Amino acid sequence: MTPQNLLYAKTHEWVKIESDPAGGKIAVVGITAFALELLTDLVYVALPEVGRKVEAGQSFGEIESVKAVSDLNSPVTGEVVAVNADLPGKLESLPKDPYGKGWFIKVKIADESTIAQLLDAAAYDKQCSEEHG
Amino acid sequence: MRNTRSTQLLFELSRPGCVGVDLPVCDVPERPISELLPAGAINPAPLPLPELSEPDVVRHFVNLSTQNMSVDTHFYPLGSCTMKYNPKRNERLASLPGMVDLHPYQPESAVQGLLELLHESQYFLAEISGLPAVSLQPAAGAHGEMTALLVAAAYFRDRGEKRTTVLIPDGAHGTNPASAAMAGFDVQPIRCDEDGFVDLEEFATHLNERTAVFMITNPNTLGIFEKNIKKIVEMVHAVGALVYLDGANMNAILGITRPGDFGADLMHYNPHKTFSGPHGGGGPGAGPIAVAEKLAPYLPSPIVVKENGVYRLDYDRPKSIGRVRSFFGNVGVLVRMYCYIRTHGAKGLREVSEHAVLNANYLLAKVKHFLEVPHGDRCMHEFVASPVKLKNEKNISTMDIAKRLLDYGYHAPTVYFPLIVKEAMMIEPTETESKATLDAFAEALFRITGESADLLHDAPHTTPVSRADEVLAARKPVLKHGG
Amino acid sequence: MPYFPNTIDDQREMLATIGAKSLDELFSMVPGELRLNRDLCLPPALGEMELTAHIVELAGKNVSAACVPCFLGGGCYDHFIPAVVDVIASRSEFYTAYTPYQAEASQGTLQAMFEYQTLIAELTGMDFSNASMYDGGSAAVEAVLMALHVGKRTGRVVVAQSVHPEYRQTLKTYLANTDTELLAVGAKDGSVAPAEVEASVTDQTACVLVQHPNFFGCLEEVEALAEITHKKGAMFIVVFDPISLGLLKRPGDYGADIAVAEGQSLGNPMAYGGPYLGIMACREPFLRRMPGRLVGQTADRRGRRCWTLTLQTREQHIRREKATSNICTNQGLFALRAAVYLSLMGPQGMRKVAELCLQKSHYALERLTACGKLEKVFERPTFKEFVVRVKDGRMEKVLAAAAKQYLFPGVQLGKWYPELADCLLIAVTEKRTKAEIDRLADIFG
Repeated sequence: MTPQNLLYAKTHEWVKIESDPAGGKIAVVGITAFALELLTDLVYVALPEVGRKVEAGQSFGEIESVKAVSDLNSPVTGEVVAVNADLPGKLESLPKDPYGKGWFIKVKIADESTIAQLLDAAAYDKQCSEEHG
Repeated sequence: MRNTRSTQLLFELSRPGCVGVDLPVCDVPERPISELLPAGAINPAPLPLPELSEPDVVRHFVNLSTQNMSVDTHFYPLGSCTMKYNPKRNERLASLPGMVDLHPYQPESAVQGLLELLHESQYFLAEISGLPAVSLQPAAGAHGEMTALLVAAAYFRDRGEKRTTVLIPDGAHGTNPASAAMAGFDVQPIRCDEDGFVDLEEFATHLNERTAVFMITNPNTLGIFEKNIKKIVEMVHAVGALVYLDGANMNAILGITRPGDFGADLMHYNPHKTFSGPHGGGGPGAGPIAVAEKLAPYLPSPIVVKENGVYRLDYDRPKSIGRVRSFFGNVGVLVRMYCYIRTHGAKGLREVSEHAVLNANYLLAKVKHFLEVPHGDRCMHEFVASPVKLKNEKNISTMDIAKRLLDYGYHAPTVYFPLIVKEAMMIEPTETESKATLDAFAEALFRITGESADLLHDAPHTTPVSRADEVLAARKPVLKHGG
Repeated sequence: MPYFPNTIDDQREMLATIGAKSLDELFSMVPGELRLNRDLCLPPALGEMELTAHIVELAGKNVSAACVPCFLGGGCYDHFIPAVVDVIASRSEFYTAYTPYQAEASQGTLQAMFEYQTLIAELTGMDFSNASMYDGGSAAVEAVLMALHVGKRTGRVVVAQSVHPEYRQTLKTYLANTDTELLAVGAKDGSVAPAEVEASVTDQTACVLVQHPNFFGCLEEVEALAEITHKKGAMFIVVFDPISLGLLKRPGDYGADIAVAEGQSLGNPMAYGGPYLGIMACREPFLRRMPGRLVGQTADRRGRRCWTLTLQTREQHIRREKATSNICTNQGLFALRAAVYLSLMGPQGMRKVAELCLQKSHYALERLTACGKLEKVFERPTFKEFVVRVKDGRMEKVLAAAAKQYLFPGVQLGKWYPELADCLLIAVTEKRTKAEIDRLADIFG
């Protein structure tokens, strides 16, 4: 089930918008269950370091299965403020909780207009069913 | 009988004090090492290598060898790799001391026989390709690709042209885009239509004055001769770009047609495939390139020239791209290539392609009755099956079939390549297999398609090990003994 | 042709099954206008006996180093090859197999490559070795390209002039279409000055490439060089001589980030320059940027230990233009030979062969310079190779005398180092006897 409370990028990343106690907004970013199913057995993830500037639609890392490698694209523009350090060592459990413990990075959003480009759950589900067909 | 004790790892077999060599006593007056080398440069500890006697080592490796399939022991229809028979005479001749115990810096006067062989080889490759200038330097096919692209880059630089893009069909070997990137170009993939031909309409939209090179494999990776090759070449030349021919599939067209005649400007050979050479568990190969006259000045140095009956290495080539490796080239592979070409002659080389194409078409004719072969009833030297129906109806994948073939005593075809074909199974029998072998192989394939999914999912059942867990290997890489 | 098993009758039946009238019809997809309507212009075919006679005749026009004392080095050395190496490598199952794509039918090759990776890691003191590259020169270049990717610093590459000139030329060729500056650091005294390297490394420098022992046979101050390089945030790449590691500290011991070598010395014939074995090993953090095949340990479905190609997503067949390299084949057969060689040698054999090279080369140096007609050029310590100056313009005379006596005295350096035009690079391996060295000295004397 695609969570209704999140936003989605066309490239299968999900985003949870949180407000930053210090002001502004933080995007928590992960990849969707749909994408995980397509990627099959994950073996490696390369994540950026804290402080790295990321841009909406640009790669911030890579995720690999045995036979394929995919870019991880940032859904928003901003700066990486946290990285899920537990993830690389526990990739096998990522599909169990992709929208919770399976987050990848947190981005301090620099340009809030990038949020408007994202899909809601219904629009994302529609896209997935089209891709699958 | 399987000996599993001797195939433990070397480090597990090691016993302190054992040694597998007896080196001579020192026959010159010895001096203390401390006088000859600074103390800080010396490793105070012995090397942490295993300690084994000579029989230990022999038994270990000979037992390991028995866990392989090989061309000498099994039919090995690995598409695109041209796993043909390796003539034993070539091995013996390439191992003559006068051929193999030669130092790369010995004087040219002391290697006239070899230089003659290499000079002749340059000519043979020019004649077979229809491209007059040859460099024997590159170490492998992919290395040849990159070398030729560096030649193209030097050519355009010399002409003051800024061309940045290399166009590559999406069915191409992965080495093509990787080589183009290494040579400093941007890569633009070109879609193939469902019959495996270059989509001319899309091709035209990407072709412009920024295009440096179009790389094409012909026959292509579906085993089909590109029907529009003449038109494609004209389009490429019309914008001032060059055509690169990936010679991976030369085995199909020896003496039938020549890349130079159908308009290629540069190409590489895979002599270890086309002209046979031991594949050695993954190399060595060689990757000589042949180019059009206008590109000759840019070839790597040296090349072999003959003057007044004497052979020498020519380094005085001011426009050359330089070197792409140390020393002359993979000479040992080239000697085998020379022997192969001399054994066959013109008629024999043509027969190589005729038999290779006959064998592939025969196997295709048998296989198409029970496996989908989506790209037509005819092929060149190889064809690509796409058993999608089995996948959809019985959940039997190409991988399952490949693994089960091992149980029947056949090496698997190339699988999941080219990337543009679903469940791709690329079969290349080569000319050195008999009808009887092909019949038996086709029958095995047919039987497999009737076996239960459960049996196939767990195949192979008879090999020294069952399916290896690739996910585990990649998740927690163990790349040496002890971690 | 004995290699075509199908008889005329077979061919007829096969064509019938295909539904084709003739062999020629099978080529109908090649447009007529593109056909070569003549025979290739090649010499007539030779049977096995004629071919043998022909190649034996050509071989006879070469002077084989198997028959004359070879003091040539410069990256290729006349070391002894135990018979076991040839016997194992010529096993059909190793010799005529290909890249182990089907792990279950290739455990022999896979385990041998895994053992090779282990042996190289132990030999070098590095964390990981790949399953081999083409040769020493291309391995050095691939190491530099790897450093350019790892560090994202692409402004400059610093290379010692005491690195093999052909490796440096190869590097120049590879970098021709990039914006990276290739800066050479001099080696006037036979090795590079650490201070000069320090001055050359900027915050945009990807790496420093040195050779140890270097092209002149001299030791470099690798520990100091590694420290300087790392202080400036660049990677330290070393070209080493595998045989020297029987005595010298290992690249991993003195801080190399990537260690590469020509592996010809480890049981591979000289073969006029190839095929050879490119060795590459690196430290753990750089593993995923390493080019070339890698074999990993895993388990099969019954839980048995086995081996498979792994981390293939680095490679061209998956990552295409974004791959770590375009390399596809490795030098499997030569990596196997090196693995057999190292397992025969063990720690004792490696130490012994290194000591023999050291002792004999120093005896040769002393013997050659004793007559006063030759002089040692560099004062730095050497391992198995050294440079001497042939005084009083006698080079041509000496070379002629050597040719007459069927002896290869050394490599002339003038084509790479004009200032050393009157110098020879002389290599002395464990195979050279005292008598041969004395003969060499007599030619100069």
